Amino acid sequence: MIAAMIQASTTTADIMKAGLMEEIFSERTLQATGPFMALSFGILLLVLAEIVPGLQLLRKLIFIATLGVAGWCAWKTIGAPEAWVFEDTYVANSTTGWWTMLFLAATFIAWLFGQRYYKAESALEGEHDLLMMSACAGMVLMAGSRDLLVFFVGLELLSVPLYTLSAFQRSRRESVEAGLKYFVLGAFAAATYLFGSALVYAGTGTLTFKAINPADLGGPLVIAGAALIAASLFFKVSVFPFHMWVPDVYQGAPAPVTTFMATGTKAAAFAFLVPAAAALLPYESKHLAAVIALVTMAVGNFGALVQTDLKRLLAYSGVAHAGTLLLAIAALQGEPGPDAAMRAVLFYMAAYVFTAGGAFGLVTMLESQTGRAVTIDSIKGLAAKRPGIAAALALFMLSLGGIPATGGFLGKYLVFSLAVRSDLLVVALIGIVLSVVALAYYLRVIVALYMQPEMDGKPVPTQARALSGLVAFACAVMVLALGLVPAWFLDSLR
Amino acid sequence: MANALFYLMALLSVASALGVVLAKNPIQCVLSLLGSFFCLATIYLLAGFQFIAAAQILVYGGAIMVLFLFVIMLLNLGDPGTADKTDARMFSRPNVAAVVVVAALLLGVAVYAVKLSPVVHAAQELPERGIDTVHGLAGEMFGRYLLPFEAVSLLLLATAIAVVVLAKRERSPKRGAKS
Repeated sequence: MIAAMIQASTTTADIMKAGLMEEIFSERTLQATGPFMALSFGILLLVLAEIVPGLQLLRKLIFIATLGVAGWCAWKTIGAPEAWVFEDTYVANSTTGWWTMLFLAATFIAWLFGQRYYKAESALEGEHDLLMMSACAGMVLMAGSRDLLVFFVGLELLSVPLYTLSAFQRSRRESVEAGLKYFVLGAFAAATYLFGSALVYAGTGTLTFKAINPADLGGPLVIAGAALIAASLFFKVSVFPFHMWVPDVYQGAPAPVTTFMATGTKAAAFAFLVPAAAALLPYESKHLAAVIALVTMAVGNFGALVQTDLKRLLAYSGVAHAGTLLLAIAALQGEPGPDAAMRAVLFYMAAYVFTAGGAFGLVTMLESQTGRAVTIDSIKGLAAKRPGIAAALALFMLSLGGIPATGGFLGKYLVFSLAVRSDLLVVALIGIVLSVVALAYYLRVIVALYMQPEMDGKPVPTQARALSGLVAFACAVMVLALGLVPAWFLDSLR
Repeated sequence: MANALFYLMALLSVASALGVVLAKNPIQCVLSLLGSFFCLATIYLLAGFQFIAAAQILVYGGAIMVLFLFVIMLLNLGDPGTADKTDARMFSRPNVAAVVVVAALLLGVAVYAVKLSPVVHAAQELPERGIDTVHGLAGEMFGRYLLPFEAVSLLLLATAIAVVVLAKRERSPKRGAKS
């Protein structure tokens, strides 16, 4: 029997292909997976902090330190040579480094706005932080993956915590409803994704993008598979016709979680959508993608026009922004190529994370102070009482609308110029017209803030929260920095 | 013979999957799930995936199923009367129509793609030890897919904690928080 065991162990040694151990423990692999490993380590530390008495006080410190270490690891991959590890299934380069920074920023923003937001659930704050960090780790894995299987694990690592976080306020009916809706539809999207990957595997014999033979791409199996994968990713980024869940879930989920979902999830799914589209979609899909993008923009913008609840308004605006970004995916099949599309999407998303993060964050703050949903009516006359908050909210609305001097303008400019270069001139023009429609509801918020008298009987608390105010200020600075001095960011991507 | 068995098992697995959703009694749901697992394991075996088939029976048919039964017995969920109210709305005609359309669409896409594609091979002689030898699986799992393999453990941890969050009784004071 021992002889059999020895034989088994030698065969195990055999299958470790020559150099595999060296590769796994090499500096290159460590550098590429550094941010993910830092986050994983942080998750385990958070578990430890929950179960060891006396360590609970360190929880917030661990959370911030983990994000810091992960950020430092990501910073080191920016500008470093591109590192493909684990047989081309995972990559680290400047772009994934910036994406990781963006996810960390989105997590940090949502987490800071979530401080002291929960009242009945304060006993579960440790679990809340842990789930948030798991979702962040999932995003990092999604952005670096160049393989359908690796991406799926990342997607689940993101989704499962988010389902739970949506239902986190169990005493509120809407929160539980949002969690259940998101879970059921998300599980369906995951099944669609798996079905699609199976078809792609049957058509190409591999799940790794680099190993796909370009000759296999036009086959019916790959096209059907790519369409199913696209459908599931479109669900995550809320593209028409998979956007129905967005307003309900965004409205029902706790506001810090909505902040996180609106910025982080969307960024992570787009970070993978660009390389996936470049690897799987045939050139002919360009016009279909462009049409879907335009319909999404129209649905989002016209849907937002009639909303009064600020969270719902921002949810529909998020749908419209997903449509604009999809335009970059459509343009990627043309002359500019995937790298230019990736740059445009990354810049747009960076501006969006800080803009939407700040806007949702301010809604979070107002909501937790008044204890009610924030509507257009309830923010009337806010500028007179809270000039700082009103100014920040107005800036975020202008950036979402794409007014020059904000990051949102430059993002839109990059995407639309990409579409023009890719022979989608008409599509770009219609897109610009739709963006102008969007200004109507962004300006409505600003008008309510500055030009309308306060409604009677709905007092707005005059005290600002120092922490939330500071985060909103930081977001506003980032939005302006991306709009006014974008060169440092764009140059580091080349 | 193998083809006939495949179609039989495929039909049975779909039927038992429907049973999981439609059965009123939770115990019946769980037993339908067991039938579905068994049919799937047979299909894996027919396709030459011996290890996956064994794992399916051992892990899902054995361990997971016992856990399900334990939970149902412990929580005393055997009463079918509570679910009746939602049934009428859930199985309204538009809902059922939507489900049928989506399922038919997905099936149509798959069948169409498979029929058109040139890569579908004729039945080959399967290797005696199956396609998924432990040898081969280990090579993939601890080589190319080491990173997602480790990430799955994180996913399980996160899921366990998510379950705690959702299932913990409300407003119970945190253990050790006051002491």
